Amino acid sequence: MASIGDWLFEMTDWLRTTSVVEFSLWISDQPFCIWLQSNFFAIPVFQALHILAIAVLFGSTLLLNLRILGLSGMDQSMTDRFARYQPWIWGGLLALVASGTVLIISEPVRNMVNPIFWMKMGALLVTIAVSLWFQSAVRARVDNWEVSADGHAAIRTGAVALIVLWCVVITGGRWIAYAPV
Amino acid sequence: MILNSFWESLEGSAFSSAIASSEWMFPTIETLHVIAIVSVVGAIIIMDLRLLGLTSRNRLVTAIARDTLPLTWIAFACAVITGLLLFVSKATSYMINPYFLFKMGLLALAGLNMAFFHFVTWKTVAEWDGSVAVIPTAAKLAGLGSLIFWALIVLCGRIIGFTLGIYH
Repeated sequence: MASIGDWLFEMTDWLRTTSVVEFSLWISDQPFCIWLQSNFFAIPVFQALHILAIAVLFGSTLLLNLRILGLSGMDQSMTDRFARYQPWIWGGLLALVASGTVLIISEPVRNMVNPIFWMKMGALLVTIAVSLWFQSAVRARVDNWEVSADGHAAIRTGAVALIVLWCVVITGGRWIAYAPV
Repeated sequence: MILNSFWESLEGSAFSSAIASSEWMFPTIETLHVIAIVSVVGAIIIMDLRLLGLTSRNRLVTAIARDTLPLTWIAFACAVITGLLLFVSKATSYMINPYFLFKMGLLALAGLNMAFFHFVTWKTVAEWDGSVAVIPTAAKLAGLGSLIFWALIVLCGRIIGFTLGIYH
């Protein structure tokens, strides 16, 4: 544990030598940032919206992926299941990024001069890339799901991977507050 | 309050102190609490939107209940267990925090709303299961109330993070 803490501490020190510092300080001077910081309830309200957005995204991901894994809703066709949840996954992601952007602006230095924040952003990009592949792979087979099992092993692996990846992103979000500085 | 000494002794137990004094235990339990809450609320939103007739319109209400209820209860159990572990580590600070008490009150309201829906409105579900056009007002109100209560529960949870320890 100590060595992870030391490494994160060194990463924070390194971030302090980069232009991320000037950029985050510049955001700190913007009127929207000042408004967010001077209203006590503003940050918790946007944090709550951020959590509700990930709830919509993660709930939809679970319902779709558990169907793919054969663990839920086997009486519903994959076509119907996909049509119901895939748009809400992208909609949830949009709300997540929008509320997340406000949260970055609300505490720019605490967030950006923080190695855990950048690890979370890296995990988020990987998760979005896997989601794009996953969506097109499922869409290509969704109408023949019960007829032909071609490629299902890769899709099942993707279904588990996406649930794990979103948990990693959520974990990153919670630990931003605990980065050693 | 006579209960003060109870919360103090709970917080002072070896188990609670271990969570409070560890560098990683509290944030790790918090992380599991967030994943559990996100799962509960995500599943509940799917059911509520169906009760309001806004989504899953081509799927029976009873089918959506089967889709979401196992996830809801498993994740809720995880949220309660992790929540209790967080609570005992700082019991006295939580018990004097108004937002924690609001959150518990809202949880009770969400529970009463669900109980009324389950024991009264759900009795006639066979009559309105198939068509979005005949969803009774009581079912729509249960869905709307649930959305509002859970959104406020999440909000109070976040405000606790900013106010724990400022009340004495």
